Amino acid sequence: MTPIEKYVEAMENKDFAALAELFTKDGILCDYCSTSSSQKEYHIYGREAINMFFRNKFGFRQYSIFGAEVVNDEQAEFIANFGGYNIMAIATVREIDKDGYIKKLTVRPK
Amino acid sequence: MGIYAITGASGDIGAATKKLLETDGHKVINIDLNDGDICVNLAKPEGRQTAIDELHKICPDGLDGMICCAGVPGACGNLGLIVSLNYFGTVALAKGVYDLLEKKHGSCVVTSSNTISQGAGRTDIADLLNNIEDEARILELVKRLDASKLSVGNSIYVSTKYALARWVRRISASWAANGVRINAIAPGNVNTAMTATMSTSSKMALNALPIPTKYGLETLMDPIEIAEVMVFLVSPKANGINGNVLFVDGGTDALLNSEKVY
Repeated sequence: MTPIEKYVEAMENKDFAALAELFTKDGILCDYCSTSSSQKEYHIYGREAINMFFRNKFGFRQYSIFGAEVVNDEQAEFIANFGGYNIMAIATVREIDKDGYIKKLTVRPK
Repeated sequence: MGIYAITGASGDIGAATKKLLETDGHKVINIDLNDGDICVNLAKPEGRQTAIDELHKICPDGLDGMICCAGVPGACGNLGLIVSLNYFGTVALAKGVYDLLEKKHGSCVVTSSNTISQGAGRTDIADLLNNIEDEARILELVKRLDASKLSVGNSIYVSTKYALARWVRRISASWAANGVRINAIAPGNVNTAMTATMSTSSKMALNALPIPTKYGLETLMDPIEIAEVMVFLVSPKANGINGNVLFVDGGTDALLNSEKVY
């Protein structure tokens, strides 16, 4: 599986630990979709922070995805649900390290 | 040495704060429902007034600090108690001893919560608390809500803590101009007698509010971690800090709201 496929799988399963493990120790996840639901952007720096952040979001049902489709080796489209507010999103793996861990991933409105 | 009053110092954060102040040689007056130096029910107007009157008798020359810790959690099942104790009990005590604090250029610290930044509160309730301050009417309103739902209790809890923090911000400038500082602390989830006996599902909910400084430990903040900051804020060492809502949550707020820098 490619990193983007693993990302989609972890998000669909609400598996915050598996999601975090996809990233390098200092990996970054930037999500610009949340602003559509009157929240600020998410800029999460570091593997442990990604683990804790999504543990919170999944635990309180504040973030889920559905209808995901991997469109190429770096990108996947899905509907992101922010506590009931839906937005079409596209996730892009911007950078990976030599071992296949994600150094930077962005999620933007499509 | 100074003289300090603390509400809710019979247990948890309040007790830890009292102990630290006493270790430093200060006199501390505990105002609590049980086991206090002044035993009153701060959820009731007459209890608040008794506490204020007693403090004036005990400390006619003034107070160095007033620390408000008394409060109940959202899971207590009594929405009226959350409103009356957490908001009105705190504000009434702070206002009631303002003249004593003024005499010694003292300071006040109240206990808010880091949940105020997580969007679970009701702005209508918080607005009523801050802007109308009609306790009887607000109690009538919350009576209509379903107290059996944990989410309802939590939303009222967050509303009271949000209103408390906002009240501190609003009042701080005029108090400071008269020599009295006031600040709020917003603690994260703390190990207390109540959390120790929580159900597994409740503990899981608490763990979904991760505490970065406790990463991987599945534990909550220790009361002493909050108490140390309480003692600092109420002390002259914090003379430059006024009207602040200080998050003492091991970084939970920064984790969940990194883009809120102000």
